[in-house]
Amino acid sequence: MNDEYTRARFETLMLPLMNDAYNMARWLMKNQEDAEDMVQESYLKAFRFFASFHEGTNCRAWLLQIIRNTCYSPLGARKLRQKEVPIEEEAGQVEDPSPLPPARLAKKATVEAVREAIEALPVEFREAIVLRELEGLSYKEISDVTRVPLGTVMSRLARGRHQLYLILSERKELGHL
Amino acid sequence: MNCQECHDFIDPYIDNELDIAAAIPFQQHLRDCSLCQQLLESRQALRALLNKLQLRFEVPDSLSRKIQSALPAATASARQRSGGRSVIPWFTIPLALAAALAVVFGLQFLNQRGMFAPSGGNALVEEVISCHVRSLLALHLLDVPSTDQHTVKPWFNGKLRYSPPVQDFTAQGFRLIGGRLDYLNGREVAALVYQRNKHIINLFVAPSESGRTEAVQSFAKDGYNVLHWDRDGFEFWAASDINKEELTAFADLEMKQA
Repeated sequence: MNDEYTRARFETLMLPLMNDAYNMARWLMKNQEDAEDMVQESYLKAFRFFASFHEGTNCRAWLLQIIRNTCYSPLGARKLRQKEVPIEEEAGQVEDPSPLPPARLAKKATVEAVREAIEALPVEFREAIVLRELEGLSYKEISDVTRVPLGTVMSRLARGRHQLYLILSERKELGHL
Repeated sequence: MNCQECHDFIDPYIDNELDIAAAIPFQQHLRDCSLCQQLLESRQALRALLNKLQLRFEVPDSLSRKIQSALPAATASARQRSGGRSVIPWFTIPLALAAALAVVFGLQFLNQRGMFAPSGGNALVEEVISCHVRSLLALHLLDVPSTDQHTVKPWFNGKLRYSPPVQDFTAQGFRLIGGRLDYLNGREVAALVYQRNKHIINLFVAPSESGRTEAVQSFAKDGYNVLHWDRDGFEFWAASDINKEELTAFADLEMKQA
């Protein structure tokens, strides 16, 4: 395989996914500057690893996985610095999900308010929600990108959505997650 | 099925990930249990809210450009690693330069003579129309079907030597529906496709020969309207069967956004 061919193939398959890549990085890093650095680094990595990319592989999941790995190293460092409390064990049930009144989400739920609420979620819940709701990935794809079993994907989505609902129906303060 | 089991199925259910064997007892339980029904409704309301808002972040254009220019460096270093060397003999470089200069001056000469100028370009207008008609006949309207300008624009990367400006005018009634590569006036051009009600507009974009900014010029033939303008180093040809006023409004939008 020659360089020109590889390059052309990389451009055809990977460059159109830059929006998805950036969206994911932006949600993980929570700011534009870091997100841009992560996307650029990820693309260069993806280009280097492109030889290991096989025809028929899901391009988007492949690229998003690289984005995620790239973002997680500075995120890990950030977490240590802030001594963030790790989320409870995955095995935990959704915390008492039943007593939710139907659809009483804040009327003033603007883009900014909802973005702020999603950003307040622990990163594992946040990425599950972003991959599912904003990127439209299937459970299997989310499981590939985040490298956790399907059952974990399911419980992270359930818990993430539950917390998001609590914040947006103004029954949970942003600072109290 | 009890409530706890039902709760575990609510998310897979709204995500269309619940298999049919589980869906039947799940729906039965929901019919009988108002609490679980409420939980489902709260999830659906949340889903509706997330869908309604534009929550995605769009990649900044500057980043796209930065990454594309970073990539050739990666290719070049790959070449160096593989030990490949340039095989162009030194004496061909002045020859190539001379040839390039000849082409540049030749083009300028042709341009002055009006070969590319729309006033003398009836043949070109006809070519624009036949490109437009062909795109509608041959079921080859779109190579990249997307209403997102940030999907359409990067799609051209690596296919053309330039990055055409791509804008969406959905709010003004001209919806971007995608793009494709086309061949016009002896070169590859970007074709952006817009929809106006049931009508299709093809907008052909290529680097301009003159580099000047030129106002809209209009042509009509066989029931098609064609407009031509230049701005910021690009030339534009819009072709459609919509009337001239509407097509001019489209051209004005394109120029105004610049």
